[in-house]
Amino acid sequence: MNSTTTAGAPERASSRIERHALIDRLFHWITAATVLVLLATAFLPTFGVQFAWVTPHWIAGLVLIAAILFHVVRAPFAQSLRSMWIGARDIRDLLAIARFNLRLTGEPPPKPGKYSLAQKLIHHLFALVLLTAAVTGGLMMVRMDTPWWRRNPYWLADSTWGVIYVLHGLAALLLVTMIIAHVYFALRPEKLLFTRSMIRGWITREEYERHHDPERWRVSE
Amino acid sequence: MEILRISRDVYGREVLQGISLDLFWVFLAAGIAFVCVHALYRWLFAPKR
Repeated sequence: MNSTTTAGAPERASSRIERHALIDRLFHWITAATVLVLLATAFLPTFGVQFAWVTPHWIAGLVLIAAILFHVVRAPFAQSLRSMWIGARDIRDLLAIARFNLRLTGEPPPKPGKYSLAQKLIHHLFALVLLTAAVTGGLMMVRMDTPWWRRNPYWLADSTWGVIYVLHGLAALLLVTMIIAHVYFALRPEKLLFTRSMIRGWITREEYERHHDPERWRVSE
Repeated sequence: MEILRISRDVYGREVLQGISLDLFWVFLAAGIAFVCVHALYRWLFAPKR
């Protein structure tokens, strides 16, 4: 679990709380870079920007698949799955957020643990869409020559390939909408602390106390 | 606007080719619309914490 104070001078150690370990930040930014390369190499040729897009597309795809496999294997052991689990308390939080935003109550909603319900939902949605894109993309590589195998377009029936193409394209299109929303929230002033933590790894203790429930996200003193 | 790309094989049967990439603009517009609606809501209507 990576919810510890950062090492360094005593005053720094007491004022900074690690939110994302370096390895998790590297995973995030490698995933982001590969997805942007994949979307650019997928869509730019359809808009008339002609270049040899196939090779960078499948190479970026392989890097993305490797990153996802690394995260899937590492996360259950190195991170707290509980912090990402959506439970009954999150549903109660959602109702409290709705009541507050609809002005049915003046009481602010409870503070979340390490991740808010919205952050958990966007993580799970990205996981679903990226896994769909990765699995279908991996299958589509059977139909092209690579340094490791010769293409085999007859491995599956045409109708099955059609479904795979539809799922791959739908995942790519959903990523366009999701990335816009993700970047928008990352740039909102009240969310910049989370963006900084995904770059530098930490939030301040004051931010921790203001945005998180210490009972739901326990960190060392 | 078509949603799916469909062609015909040598026997005249319909073959699913994938999703229509014209939908790119729909998904792009949906993302921009979400951002605009949320920003306006937070700016004009959302209760201050």
